[in-house]
Formats: sequence, C-alpha cells, structure tokens
Amino acid sequence: MAVHLTDEEKRILDGKSGEPQRLALHVLTKLGEACGAERMVEIASAHLVASSYQIAGEAGIDIYSQLVRQGARVKVRTTSDPGSIDFARWRDFRTPADYAARQVKIAELLDQMGVIPTWTCTPYTTFNVPRYGDHLGWSESSAVVFVNSVIGARTNRLAAYVDLCAALTGRVPCFGLHLSENRRGQVVFQLDADLATDFVDHYFPALGYLVGQTVGDQVPVIVGLRHATFDQLKAFGAAAAASGSVALYHLVGITPEARTLEEACGGLAPAERISVGRREMAHVMEQMGAATAGPVDVVGIGCPHASIDQMRRYASLLEGKHIHPDTQLWVCTNVVVEEMARKMGYVETIERAGAKLLVGTCHNDCPLGAWSFRRLVTDSGKFAYYTPTTVGTQCVFASTEACIQAAIAGKVERP
Amino acid sequence: MSGPQRVLQGHGCAAGRFEGEVVVSRQPFGFWQGLDPQTGVVIDKRHDLCGTMIKGKIFVFPYGRGSTGTPGIFLEAVRNGCAPAAIVNVKSEPMIIMCALLAEAFFKVSIPIVDGLEAPPQDFLRTGDRVRIDGATGRIEVLSGG
Repeated sequence: MAVHLTDEEKRILDGKSGEPQRLALHVLTKLGEACGAERMVEIASAHLVASSYQIAGEAGIDIYSQLVRQGARVKVRTTSDPGSIDFARWRDFRTPADYAARQVKIAELLDQMGVIPTWTCTPYTTFNVPRYGDHLGWSESSAVVFVNSVIGARTNRLAAYVDLCAALTGRVPCFGLHLSENRRGQVVFQLDADLATDFVDHYFPALGYLVGQTVGDQVPVIVGLRHATFDQLKAFGAAAAASGSVALYHLVGITPEARTLEEACGGLAPAERISVGRREMAHVMEQMGAATAGPVDVVGIGCPHASIDQMRRYASLLEGKHIHPDTQLWVCTNVVVEEMARKMGYVETIERAGAKLLVGTCHNDCPLGAWSFRRLVTDSGKFAYYTPTTVGTQCVFASTEACIQAAIAGKVERP
Repeated sequence: MSGPQRVLQGHGCAAGRFEGEVVVSRQPFGFWQGLDPQTGVVIDKRHDLCGTMIKGKIFVFPYGRGSTGTPGIFLEAVRNGCAPAAIVNVKSEPMIIMCALLAEAFFKVSIPIVDGLEAPPQDFLRTGDRVRIDGATGRIEVLSGG
C-alpha cells in the first residue's frame, strides 16, 4: 500500500533537501509501505541505538561517514544510547585501544551530525524528555517502553539506523503504537492480593521478565499494584522489553493511559487474563538464576542507567564497607548523574568501598573478554536476560541489597 | 532444467530475486547475539542451528526475535558478505524488514524476504532444498528436494 506523502515529503524524496534526507525518507517510506502506514508523522525527538561500536561495527562507521560526507544533520532533538567504552576510563576496564579508537570515531561522526552525546539508555532523565502524546522516533528497547508507558509518548521500537533516518527527516511512518487502537491492553495480569500488598523492590524486574516471556510483543496490563517509583517502572519495563518485545505496558491506577482497567483495554474485553501469585514469582526468579550460589566475579547494578536516587541508595549501602578483593562491583550510569552524584559525595563513598563507576556504557555493551568473568550478580532483569550471551557468564538475579552484599562477601548465598 | 516441483505464493516483504540453497530452523531467531557477522555462522548456543553457516543461504525461520540493535549485526554481515541471501518467515516482523531496506539503501544489496505462505515454510522446506524466491511478488518455487 502506498504511503500518502505531503508536498514537502515529495520534495525531500526528489532530493531537494539533499541526499541524506532523500535516502532516509526513502527507507522510512518503504518501511511504512511494508507495515501499512497511511502517512508519515512528524516527531518531537529521536534516540539512536547504533551509537555503540558493538552494535554499529564497521558497517556503522561506513554509513555514518557516508552521511557526514553528504552533509547530514539531524532535524530534531536526537540523543545517543550508551557507547561501547567508558570514554574517560576505558583503560581501567581493559578495553583494547584499537577498539576504543573505533568508538571514538563513531562519537566524532555523531557529533558532526548534531547528535547530543548523552551516551545513555535513560535519555528521558537527561536532555531528551518527551511529553504526553508526543510522537517520537526512538530505539533502545528499555527507553521505548518507558516513554510509551510511563510518559504516554508514542514510538515504535525503531531499529538501528532507522532511528537515524527518523532523526534526519524529523518523521516516522505512522503505524503501530502511533495509533490509539494499537495501544490497548491485550493481556491482563492480575496480582494475587497477598503478593500485591507486599510487592518488594526486586519483584518489579522479576515481574517484567515474567510478563515479557508471556506476551511477546503484545500490550500487557497489570492489575493490583498500588504504587511504583520511577526507578521501579524503569526496571519493570526494561525486563519486559528484553525477555519479550514489550514496547508498551499499562499499570492500572499508575500509568497515564490506564486510570482504570477499562481505559487500559480501550473499552474492549482483553483476550486473556492471567493471575500471578508468589508461586509464579518464585518460578521466574529461579529462571533468572536467583537460586544459584557460590563465588562471584562481578556485580552489575545500574541497568538501565542508575538515577541519582539509586546512587544515593548504593552509597548508603556501601558506606564504610569494602568489597571483596576478588570481586568487581560496577555501577553503570550516565555522565549527568555521575556529575551530580560526585557533587553530593556519593561517588566518593562508592569508590572508597572499592566499587567502580562505569559511565556512558554498561557490562552488556563493553568488550569484557579480558576479564574472563564466570558469574555475574545483578538486580536487573535486562542484564539477567542478556549477560549469559553478551558477557558469557552465569547470571544470578538478586535484590539491590543482596547484590551489594554479594560484592562485599565475594560470593552469593542461597536465598 | 525441469520446472519447479512446487510453487507457493506468499507475501513479498522486501524486493529482490535469488535462487539457492535453503537452511531451515524451527525456532525464532535473533541476529543480535545470534549471528557472527565475520563468518556468517550461527553462534546462539540456545538455538537449533548453532554452528551452522547461513551466509549466502535462503534462511527459513518462523519469526525474528529482535533487539533494536538487530540491523547493526545484520549490516555488518552484509558488509562482510556473510549475510543470508534471502529470508522466508511465517511472519516477518518490522525489525527484519528494516534490515533488508537498510542493506539496499546503504550497501546496494537486495535481500528478498517473503512471509505469509499458505503453510508454515519449516513444514515443507528441508535444509539443502534448492529454491527460487522473488521478494517482490512473494512467489517461491521449490526446484529440488522437499
């Protein structure tokens, strides 16, 4: 089906706005045709996932170099996802120098296109804060699910480079989650009353993992939760987007498109209802490796990137403590939170305990071959899903407190 | 050369024509963490094709398991000449279609994609079958095997 184009869009496709915009709009139009879009929609901002060398590789450097030579500039506010190195401390993390140089090359190319170098998976906490109802061209699954669900902005999960096409043209094809009828909840999860009344912090990523596994790319609705913090919503969505392809969820009474169950489901009866109790939670946490015990090489917290509230919590848990000499504790965050945490003394407390800040990247994005890690402990559902392949470790899922306790003890106990 | 043993009509998701050998999987596939773009070999230890070369093949799998980084790995494989030459799915998700669009736009390589055949392709195609695929019309001709 042909996508209806405005006169301006036709001019762009005729090359009147330059080759980068022509090529970008060509890709977006073809995508729109394949996905049944009737028109394009203008976007408020973009966020790019192929900012990391691990994702972009040499193909990405070729693509960005070509676009820069042709004079490409982003047309809307555009931020970068984590890179594959900590730009300030890559040597401390044993990143090979030639690898770091390729990431620096990508950074230069993105700079030349006008991308804001946030290097974070949580751009919505720094310089890319969408409003309710905004249309966006974002990738990074954990950020997409956050801005759709918690803010009520509208974006599909764009792919690497398609996000850049959106940034260059300020447009995306209007299909999927840009349309209200596709934002209705499809699968309802009802929490048992005794679980809901005592829903502790690390249940959020665990429930996200369970929900993602169950629904794939459908829209889940969760009934029974009374309260959730910003960071708990972030952890829940990141896990659901990793174990499934969840791009939007509704928490009844909490997220903006779900004041009631009826509103969350758009007035239609949901196809499926699933109840979740303590038994289901225990089962999913076992799948995430929560039952594993033994020595620990590395602990990963701050996935998605830690907020200032989380940095305060880590600092208070590490105050006056020392992590085990055979264990690494790496706290992942972005440069904005790092700066604020430094001013507030949290960085000093964390580093004095022997932990390291890993800024602008994370365990999943860095080359960690030189470390030979065998067992990683994390409080992140996303890490729990990906690190067995990205880092090649066994993974143990635990609460934030238990993660820090494991770093201090150098081992994880059976819960 | 004799005519095709069987002709199937699906939905063309990405244009291009190719004739070659089929590699069939019964499991969903994610290129990100699933394919080594330097060799074209499947590296996902949880996958039934782990260790199999899909470079230059018509890769048949039910649907994609897509991280948003998927085109990163896919285009790196295209650049190295290690990508599959064509793809047949039960249902092609936008992520995989985007990979073909980007390969065409940035590397001038057509990777035809067809989905929506009348029967699941993994039920009538076997690894090693020779097939002709047209990604514009959605037509698939099984030339030998099956």
